[in-house]
Amino acid sequence: MTAAPAPRPTLVRFVFSSVGHLFRGPPLYWLWVLLLLALIALGGWHYWLQLRDGLVVTNMTNQVSWGFYIANFTFLVGVAAAAVMLVVPAYIFHRRDIKDVVLMGDTMAIAAVTMAILFVVVDLGRPDRFWHLIPGIGRFNFPESMLAWDVIVLNGYLLLNLGISFYIVYHHYRGEDPKASRYFPWVLLAIFWAISIHTVTAFLYAANSGRPYWHNALLAPRFIASAFASGPAMMALGLQIIRAISDYPIRQSVINHLALVATIALQVTLFFLLAELFTEFYNEGEHAASARYLFLGLDGHSGLTPWIWTAVVLLSIAVVILMIHPLRHNPLTMNIAFVLIIVGVWIEKGMGLIVPAFVPTPIGEIYEYTPSLTEIMVSVGIWAIGLLLFTLLAKAALPVQCEFLRRQRASEQQSWDGVERRHNAA
Amino acid sequence: MVIDTRTCIGCGDCVVACKNENKVPVGLNRDWVVEATRGEYPNLETEFRSERCNHCSHATCVTSCPTGASHHWKDSNIVLVAAEKCTGCKACIAACPYDARLIMHPDGYVDKCTFCHHRVDQGLDPACVSSCPTHCMHFGNLDDRDSVVSRLLRERRHKVLMPETGNQPHVYYLT
Ligand code: SF4
Ligand code: SF4
Repeated sequence: MTAAPAPRPTLVRFVFSSVGHLFRGPPLYWLWVLLLLALIALGGWHYWLQLRDGLVVTNMTNQVSWGFYIANFTFLVGVAAAAVMLVVPAYIFHRRDIKDVVLMGDTMAIAAVTMAILFVVVDLGRPDRFWHLIPGIGRFNFPESMLAWDVIVLNGYLLLNLGISFYIVYHHYRGEDPKASRYFPWVLLAIFWAISIHTVTAFLYAANSGRPYWHNALLAPRFIASAFASGPAMMALGLQIIRAISDYPIRQSVINHLALVATIALQVTLFFLLAELFTEFYNEGEHAASARYLFLGLDGHSGLTPWIWTAVVLLSIAVVILMIHPLRHNPLTMNIAFVLIIVGVWIEKGMGLIVPAFVPTPIGEIYEYTPSLTEIMVSVGIWAIGLLLFTLLAKAALPVQCEFLRRQRASEQQSWDGVERRHNAA
Repeated sequence: MVIDTRTCIGCGDCVVACKNENKVPVGLNRDWVVEATRGEYPNLETEFRSERCNHCSHATCVTSCPTGASHHWKDSNIVLVAAEKCTGCKACIAACPYDARLIMHPDGYVDKCTFCHHRVDQGLDPACVSSCPTHCMHFGNLDDRDSVVSRLLRERRHKVLMPETGNQPHVYYLT
């Protein structure tokens, strides 16, 4: 009796088998998915309340009109952009170890940029009018409005990453090597695009000449520097988790590479911060009011001061850990540093960047802001959506990738054996 | 619009007039009076200023609005918001250097001073200008050399608020 021939790998079968992988998993997997679903439901319920009652259920006001949502948005755009820190070494410098995991970087970018887009949507007072922002249907104020640019670059980045990842995974599923000539131009585009999403987002703030805290040429460089610290840190943590719970071969050299990138980016971030503090405070003028509010408190209002100092301390500890070689190579201290970076940048690029620009207002009033319960719950829901998306995408892609890598190694081994045999025979 | 800070007594009639005329919801104001004090006791100087949207020629709120909801009315400098197009993204609020925009409108759009364009269309002055008991506010066309506002700006010392933002505001204060 002969074995049934393996089914021909068509697109439909690919989709079916990928979806099939989503429904097979150990109890821990199900527990994790259910937990995320519960959080999403909770966030969804709070978002429904916000839709029903309007933005009044948030603590945003006429004075502080962007808050926790836009803070998270800013942070996540950075994480999404940082995928290039795997893409560049993998595709441009052809590092094999990184090429094996670059897909996880893309997956993380997809999850992060999806979350970023969701954070913009929940920040809208009238999401039902969002269609005005769709090019072609509404009157899209392009190229004047920076927000219009942001809509384009974020959605474009999402599509690019989805397209590239899909192309590669599908070809791996079929057991073929993806054709570099077909995807490489898109990879190049995605690299530039990644920088652009963060630059455009920074310009969205820096364009506002009435807000001196943002109206600053260092804003975009600072964004990129801190993104290249927090993104690799997050990726390194994610990869280590994947390595611990699956048999996906992730080499330590990849983690070390990410740690090195995070170290350098963090040094630059702290240097930029210092440069900014010097400029604001050495000869303090009216324009430094927001910075004073953030770092020292203004007229007895200091709601954000403890936060920002926490961030500065966390980032400083992280940079010290990462700069001492034995500590950077010790898994425990290295991972502690990663967590410190993520939390520190989340504070600094989030609430620490968005809120002070509105305090004091251009006419000198001070309104403090802390997120409301609704804002926090909706944000938790969006983070859960992102984590779920990452989990599911990784779950569907990993078996295909493992199989592909196994086959690739096996064939390499064979040809290697061949060489050896010839060698011995000679 | 030209406002004489030397005759303004800070009575707030303009604020009330605007609320009545434009049915501005409770808790919101499209205009407000600022009392700025300069100097050190006993040499103090107080300036009253009725402030509102400056209807900038280079209005950052218009350039930043992604949907074109914020726009210049009929090629004039009057800046309006088309409520049905406003997504509530608040980009314009971040962009306005004068804090002239209000997000919390119960009907779900960003509200602001319209220079009472519905009255201007009928040849009337904005409600705040008409209501001022000391006649400290003047409204007119700056392109017309013979209008009262052009004459005042020619003859009197004046300033605009925050000219450094490059917005080219059009509410002038006589000092
Ligand atoms: S004052 Fe503000 S709202 Fe008014 S036109 Fe200028 S930028 Fe726009
Ligand atoms: S809040 Fe409304 S008016 Fe303001 S920028 Fe957004 S869409 Fe335009």
